[in-house]
Amino acid sequence: MSQELSERLNAETVRIRIFLGVIVVAFFFLVGVLWRQQIVRSKEHQSSESRQSVRRVRLPAVRGVIEDRYGRCLARNRPSYCVAIFVEELRQRGRLSHTIDAVEAVVERLSMALGLPPEVNRDDIARHLQARLPIPFIAWRGVDNKALARWLEGGAVEAGVDVYVEPVREYPQGALMGHILGYVGRAEPPSDGQKYHYYVPEMQGKSGVEKTFDDVLCGASGGQLLRVDASGFRHDVLAMKPPTEGHSVRLSVDVEIQRAVEESIKGERAALVILSPENGDVLAMASAPSFDPNLFCPSISHDNWNRLNTDANKPLFNRAVGGIYPPGSTFKPVVALAAITSGRAEAGQVVDCIGYYELGKMRLRCWHKSGHGPIAMRKAIEQSCNTYFCALGVLCGYDHIYHMARSIGFGERTGIELPGERSGLLPNDAWKRRVYKDRWRPGDTCNLSIGQGALSVTPLQMGMYMVALANGGTVYRPRLVLDGSRDGEVLSRLSWSPAALSVVRNGMYDVVQAPNGTGKYARVPGIEMAGKTGTAEYGSRTHRRKHTWMTVYFPFHRPRYAVALVVEDGLSGGRTCAPRIKALVSRILEIEQARREGTTFAEGRG
Amino acid sequence: MSWARTLRLLKRLHWVMLIPILLALGVGVFFIYSSCYISHELPVQSFYKKQGVWIGLGFLFYFTAALYDYRRLGRWSWVLYGGSLILLVLVLIAGKQMYGARRWLMIPGTGFGVQPSELAKLATLVFLAYLLSLPELDLSRFSVFVALLGVVALPLVLVLKQPDLGTSVVFVPPALIMMYIAGVPLRYVGTLVMIGLVVVLLTLTAIILPDRLELDESTRETIQRVIPLTEYQQDRVAVLLWPDRDPLGAGWNKNQSMIAVGSGGMMGKGYLQGTQNILGFLPRLVAPTDFIYSVIAEEMGFVGGVFVIVLFLVIMVLGLQVAAATPDRMGRLLCVGVVAMLFCHVWINIAMTVGVMPITGLPLPLLSYGGSFVLTTLAALGIVQSVYIRSPRRIFG
Repeated sequence: MSQELSERLNAETVRIRIFLGVIVVAFFFLVGVLWRQQIVRSKEHQSSESRQSVRRVRLPAVRGVIEDRYGRCLARNRPSYCVAIFVEELRQRGRLSHTIDAVEAVVERLSMALGLPPEVNRDDIARHLQARLPIPFIAWRGVDNKALARWLEGGAVEAGVDVYVEPVREYPQGALMGHILGYVGRAEPPSDGQKYHYYVPEMQGKSGVEKTFDDVLCGASGGQLLRVDASGFRHDVLAMKPPTEGHSVRLSVDVEIQRAVEESIKGERAALVILSPENGDVLAMASAPSFDPNLFCPSISHDNWNRLNTDANKPLFNRAVGGIYPPGSTFKPVVALAAITSGRAEAGQVVDCIGYYELGKMRLRCWHKSGHGPIAMRKAIEQSCNTYFCALGVLCGYDHIYHMARSIGFGERTGIELPGERSGLLPNDAWKRRVYKDRWRPGDTCNLSIGQGALSVTPLQMGMYMVALANGGTVYRPRLVLDGSRDGEVLSRLSWSPAALSVVRNGMYDVVQAPNGTGKYARVPGIEMAGKTGTAEYGSRTHRRKHTWMTVYFPFHRPRYAVALVVEDGLSGGRTCAPRIKALVSRILEIEQARREGTTFAEGRG
Repeated sequence: MSWARTLRLLKRLHWVMLIPILLALGVGVFFIYSSCYISHELPVQSFYKKQGVWIGLGFLFYFTAALYDYRRLGRWSWVLYGGSLILLVLVLIAGKQMYGARRWLMIPGTGFGVQPSELAKLATLVFLAYLLSLPELDLSRFSVFVALLGVVALPLVLVLKQPDLGTSVVFVPPALIMMYIAGVPLRYVGTLVMIGLVVVLLTLTAIILPDRLELDESTRETIQRVIPLTEYQQDRVAVLLWPDRDPLGAGWNKNQSMIAVGSGGMMGKGYLQGTQNILGFLPRLVAPTDFIYSVIAEEMGFVGGVFVIVLFLVIMVLGLQVAAATPDRMGRLLCVGVVAMLFCHVWINIAMTVGVMPITGLPLPLLSYGGSFVLTTLAALGIVQSVYIRSPRRIFG
């Protein structure tokens, strides 16, 4: 080997070594980068990996059912079939409008195949794409069976389209108990801090028991962690927390009695409450006019909503708990109880009714223009003599009447499990000074004694008052939802003197049962009732209008029902309300009869 | 060639070098399976089997190249070179168009295709080694340098015409490395490298600045025309500088590859468990080919990633050892050329999957799925064996 070649080879070997060095350095650089990516920034990459592939889905819980006291269904869920388009799967390259085109085309094809007119337009699609892209786009809600059959036959198979079932609230009793049950609407997105990629809206109670017992009925929503692939398809489920179905709620209401009640006040602006004197259970509660809660399922139309809200008769308004009316003569037994219990008067107190009660220069007229003549307390209740009760009120003093009324529950909310309850107003000196900047005067006592003036009550309070009279002084909180216990919640046990209770009860007995009682039109053969009518005037002097009342409890001995009825703008308690009470009581007796014979729902199941 | 002679030559084979090669090929088959088993398409699912067939065929090439005297190959290299140039011209005329490029020459009736650029790569390398080893050639002369560049430039231009930026990138560096080692003055090679770097820098500036300076449209268009890259290639470069620029478009592959590699961590997610690959974020089309390293790094982590790098490093060290131990200049230049080509492929491919190089369609030797490339890589490595077999052994070396 020549010297020159050998030198050349050695020089080359050196350069080969240099090259080797370059290779090693270059590879070390790669190892360094690898270290940085896989070790130093590992967490960061892992989180972006899960961010792009893991989706949180909220699984709404099925709402609990509502039943009546015997387990008859009042509110449940029915499956509603929706056609959903998974927009991600129709994603087109380039502009968003291409994707909108694709979705629109799918909607058109489906419309032909399913025989359904399109319910969404291009704007809906665009809005969905901008704000809610990862959520399936609902093209049709509540698809009928015919279209569903066409779908199942495979006539409308499209990529990225699927049918899914959505529970929709249903009220099988129709318009019955609209005010008690209330209705549901779309819930606001939850603010529990959990972020959901796909938010599926849930139903939330917006009124009635649906609202007050929402947290019981709604259950607990579940969640799903989905892993999706690069095109947005579901790959697998990483974690799943199934939703828990809502608990059922059992109401104290008896559907059959409720139906009778609603029948009896149909066509009026009225409210009727039936409570159980044994425990304060609400056996029925109605307000007319009413509404069908099914109108709100799955969502209420604009027209219906406007109609319900602009109707002068306010069908959405629950008069039974939210309506406040002067009680008129139905309040008189309170005065009798106060006067005797306080010792200011005896049960045998007699007043001479000359057609009016004279208080200073004022004359307060009795409805009997020529006067009842000398009249005793029992008769005064039967005949609803204003003169007698003005005199008795003044004799007793407003303080005792006030406290008696207060102890029965007037002037404050009963605390029933319904939204929108009002307290009414039980006026006293402090109230008068605050509002009228004037002291309490005997004239105010007279007004109070005949249930007029500033005094206002709700039909439910009147029902509570009847409960106390019927059971001899136990004030129960009206109970709408059964919690399993048979006893109601006792608010107070009033110690009325037997003499007072007896004269009031007998007077009220005569109201219905005596030949000339003011409530004689309520009389039902075969049952003894106690009651009191009332006709409360309101409005301006030139344009007097009357709210008419009748409150009863029956049977007279061992009462099972306490009823309060108010009809707005009636003629008088005796003429407007008493016949309705008669119809209602007859119907309730028929129901009881049928139950005893076992032809209808047996009580034993409840 | 007699059987006895064949046997004698095989006995002299560098068997140790076969170990890392076989390991790399095995790893490749396993991860081609991993990246394809999830696919819904049957042909894709069986890629790993096809790769096995290609490897078998590749070893035929390997041993043929090993047994064939490389010196004779050198004498015929101009025919090889010329032939590959003709094929490169042919592919531009009659090649199968895929994704906007003509890279494949279909063999009629078989459904198989070959990439002439792969052959051209090897042919140019052999031809260059032959030329550089000619004793009568004065390498220090500038005109010789220019002529050698011409030899490289001819196939390069044809490959760029396809266009196949990835393959063309690996033409120049091995050629320059061979020239440098053969003794072309560093000032020539270095100047060329410098010029290259300046062009790259200017291009980068031209891509970056219009955005930064908020130039108007017409100025931008003028700049666009001057830049030697297509708009598509510019996007690839731009996403490297701003990863968030176009995450669903040009940046997708790069970002997803980085996420795949990075989320692998130290030990990886486990074989067949790479979610980036399973869920298709790493596009199915390129996972078994250009992004096989991402799949490995995701499923085997840093440990697996470094293992693959070490395998390549061992092959290259052994290859350069053969080069250094061979007194024959053409033999050693061939070895250097093969190692340099391998190095360029490996380094650029891994660098792009970990996010430090722009994405170019460049497979990872021995691991990526792809017939032509397996064949050329094994043939090239066979040439190293051919050189080793025929080099005189020193007792201690």
